[in-house]
Amino acid sequence: MDTITVSVYRRDPSLEKEGKFVDYEVPREEGMVVLDAMKYIEKHIDPSLSLRWNCMAGKCGSCSAEINYKPSLMCKARIDSLKSGKIRVSPIAAYPLIKDLVTDVSENWALLKRIPKFTPREGLEKPWRISQVDIERSKEFKKCIECFLCQDVCHVIREHNSDYFGPRHVVKAASLDMHPLDAIDRSEFMNKDAGLGYCNITKCCTEVCPEEIHITDNAIIPEKERAVNLSYDPLAMLVRSRRNKGGKK
Amino acid sequence: MVEIFDYDLVIIGSGLAGLRASIEAAKTGNGKLKIAIIAKNQLMRPHSISAEGGSAAVLYTDEGDSFDLHAYDTVKGSDYLCDQDVVEYFVRQAPLDILELEHWGIPWARRDDGRVAQRPFGGHSYPRATFAADRTGFYEVHGLYDTMLKYENIDKFHEQFVYDFIIEDNKFKGVTAFDIPTGEIRIFKARAGIVATGGLGRLFGYTTYSHLVTGDGLAIALRRGMRLKDIEFVQFHPTGLVPSGILITEGVRGDGGILRNAKGERFMEKYAPTKKDLAPRDIVSRSMMTEILEGKGFKGPNGLDYLLLDFSAIGAEKIKEKLSQVREIGNHYVGLDPVDSPLPVRPSAHYTMGGIDVTRTGFTGVTGLWAAGEAACLSIHGSNRLGANSTSECVVFGKIAGEDSAKWLLSDISTINLSEGERSHAENFVADAYKDKGDNDPYEIKRVLWSTMDKDAYVFRNERDLTEGLKIIKGLIDRSGKISISEKGNVYNQNLIASLEMKNLVELAEVVVNSALERRESRGSHFRTDYPKRDDENYLKHTIAQRANGGLQITYRPVTLTKWKPEARVY
Ligand SMILES: Cc1cc2nc3c(=O)[nH]c(=O)nc-3n(C[C@H](O)[C@H](O)[C@H](O)COP(=O)(O)OP(=O)(O)OC[C@H]3O[C@@H](n4cnc5c(N)ncnc54)[C@H](O)[C@@H]3O)c2cc1C
Ligand code: SF4
Ligand code: SF4
Ligand code: FES
Repeated sequence: MDTITVSVYRRDPSLEKEGKFVDYEVPREEGMVVLDAMKYIEKHIDPSLSLRWNCMAGKCGSCSAEINYKPSLMCKARIDSLKSGKIRVSPIAAYPLIKDLVTDVSENWALLKRIPKFTPREGLEKPWRISQVDIERSKEFKKCIECFLCQDVCHVIREHNSDYFGPRHVVKAASLDMHPLDAIDRSEFMNKDAGLGYCNITKCCTEVCPEEIHITDNAIIPEKERAVNLSYDPLAMLVRSRRNKGGKK
Repeated sequence: MVEIFDYDLVIIGSGLAGLRASIEAAKTGNGKLKIAIIAKNQLMRPHSISAEGGSAAVLYTDEGDSFDLHAYDTVKGSDYLCDQDVVEYFVRQAPLDILELEHWGIPWARRDDGRVAQRPFGGHSYPRATFAADRTGFYEVHGLYDTMLKYENIDKFHEQFVYDFIIEDNKFKGVTAFDIPTGEIRIFKARAGIVATGGLGRLFGYTTYSHLVTGDGLAIALRRGMRLKDIEFVQFHPTGLVPSGILITEGVRGDGGILRNAKGERFMEKYAPTKKDLAPRDIVSRSMMTEILEGKGFKGPNGLDYLLLDFSAIGAEKIKEKLSQVREIGNHYVGLDPVDSPLPVRPSAHYTMGGIDVTRTGFTGVTGLWAAGEAACLSIHGSNRLGANSTSECVVFGKIAGEDSAKWLLSDISTINLSEGERSHAENFVADAYKDKGDNDPYEIKRVLWSTMDKDAYVFRNERDLTEGLKIIKGLIDRSGKISISEKGNVYNQNLIASLEMKNLVELAEVVVNSALERRESRGSHFRTDYPKRDDENYLKHTIAQRANGGLQITYRPVTLTKWKPEARVY
């Protein structure tokens, strides 16, 4: 039987100081994804393996991991798209480990709560009228499935020594700021309280986003730009000089 | 170690129904109620995010839609097994609640004049599915979740596996759960509860449902002596992608996609001359299985013989523009691009019409306990749900359950005392589950369950298969008590969860198959080849299943008719 070898990070921090990679042989099937291999391990080889998953379709954002060092969704990573040889699967590293591939991403819930909520303008006639173009603009950011892969890859977040909320949260702010009927502007909050100034626009986040959201170009840079008048951010000013002003009208 | 929380209201489940309920309860309680919302996965990742097509609501009465038309479509779709008074209420409420969602940031698609756009959907005689691209449920969940965050008195508990409801003397007192990341046992004492745990779709192996939809709330209700209604009715969506079962949206056929057999024939012309490929789901699924059983399908893997969904009439441009998600699925899961190849499809388990028996406000009959969403059976969908009616139902009746329970809480001042018996039951449950009771493998039991349900309780049913299936299921129930959970660790123990879910599923399978056996007629999604006709004289009534005296008791209750008398259902 044709098989593949998957090397999976295993550790129960309540019992073990150190983690280890364990190799498993899994039958290869046409079109299989990394999550299929994990399910096979759980059902047939070692039921103690822990991982999160639900939709199996790249929509719920549960199954984040690092596959061959790249932050990816396990349900979307096709085995035949990976380079041949052993496949290395480890938990996303930016967050504390709960067990095996499961991490504690809950600090994000608290951050999301702090971003000023959707605040529709007052006195709008009901039902609201919005043009489809405007819907599309905020929808790019609303597509975010909260997989936190962008957070995982961001060096600022990984270093844990700033108050930067991280790219997912800028996407959130942008999704609200781009709503045509929203009355407030979150750029000042994002720069002052959410540490957006720490982002030096490396674009690594955009590269891993499974929803292909243009995180840096369409969310981060406009949020930086709009706040540039409020606080001095040389990098954003540089970028600004090369682009037309985007974002909210 | 047991941790005890004290709440006024506990909401179990954070799908559309649970989220909507939490918001309304917080609003109604106006700061006076302590509310907890708990779910077995992270709260923003429920199955509801999978809903693609839309939410039904009458928005344009000036252009020809009407409440009566929506109600009639629903009644006819249900094959007359819905309660018409509830349906009439539902269709009037839906537009208000759907438009309200827009004020919470849900990006409904627009017409050129900036008003909300709607699209056609199977079984609806007017284009009334309100949608947000091809991810309606996803945007709804996130919009509701954000709105919920505004209420300070809702405490959120992620990854809690609820294994029991505490009910004494027909009064609800709370739920027991364990915290999945630590394994710690938690009692959520509460004066009221809302069960919003979703359907039972993972009873089937070949399904469009997410992994976690294992009917836990229904199984617990059953064990606690509550009534389950019309549970034999399971909807099979015509276009599950072979071999995974993943959904190919009905929108494909809405846009001109055509089902074809191995001879290339457009067979739906034969079965539903008017609506053809867009006839209601039960009819299309049956037509497909007839073709397959007559040998006009293609041989598929593991007995999953299939037909083809042909995209060629839609045209490459439109496929690329409107059906990008379907393209992605095709490319990703079977390596086929619908732009130049048809996709292999076959009916896939998709929706649970039955559920916990509740009144129009979601009240279960147990003092202090409500249910909403797919877990509840309000009898809107009868024996066959129309697409787009379910997300609307979750929003409409989630709201009502939240409001009703909060009002009741504000007027009720009793306090909860747990008996010693309940407390120790809660404490010992998990310890007991860990005890080795035999050498059965929970994963293997689930595999047998799946193959049994996929074969014996699928689109076509008959006395022989159902009896055979029931025998196997009884054996599985027996074996499910004789398992060992090999992994004993407290932290994120998925082996324990899989075992508990498996137990819930086998117990529900018995109810589904039993109810199906007893219904000797064909109606909506339930088709008996040995009783191929609808029998209004004997079966225009709801099935009620309940545990009593150690066995399963099946009784019936009349259907409420208001305006529409049962007539033949032709499309
Ligand atoms: C692929 C697909 C597409 C669909 N498309 C549409 C559509 O276009 N239009 C439409 O109207 N309907 C659609 N439906 C149906 C609709 O999505 C569902 O009926 C609806 O979302 C159910 O919502 P819910 O709130 O009842 O439950 P769910 O969303 O299933 O949520 C259940 C909640 O309960 C929790 N839970 C369950 N068990 C436990 C436990 N033991 N302990 C703690 N928590 C627990 C879960 O964690 C979850 O939070 C679709 C369904 C599928 C499968
Ligand atoms: S662009 Fe900014 S947010 Fe994105 S990874 Fe780089 S530093 Fe982090
Ligand atoms: S922005 Fe993209 S990568 Fe980041 S959490 Fe959202 S979907 Fe994931
Ligand atoms: S399982 Fe839902 S995103 Fe992978």
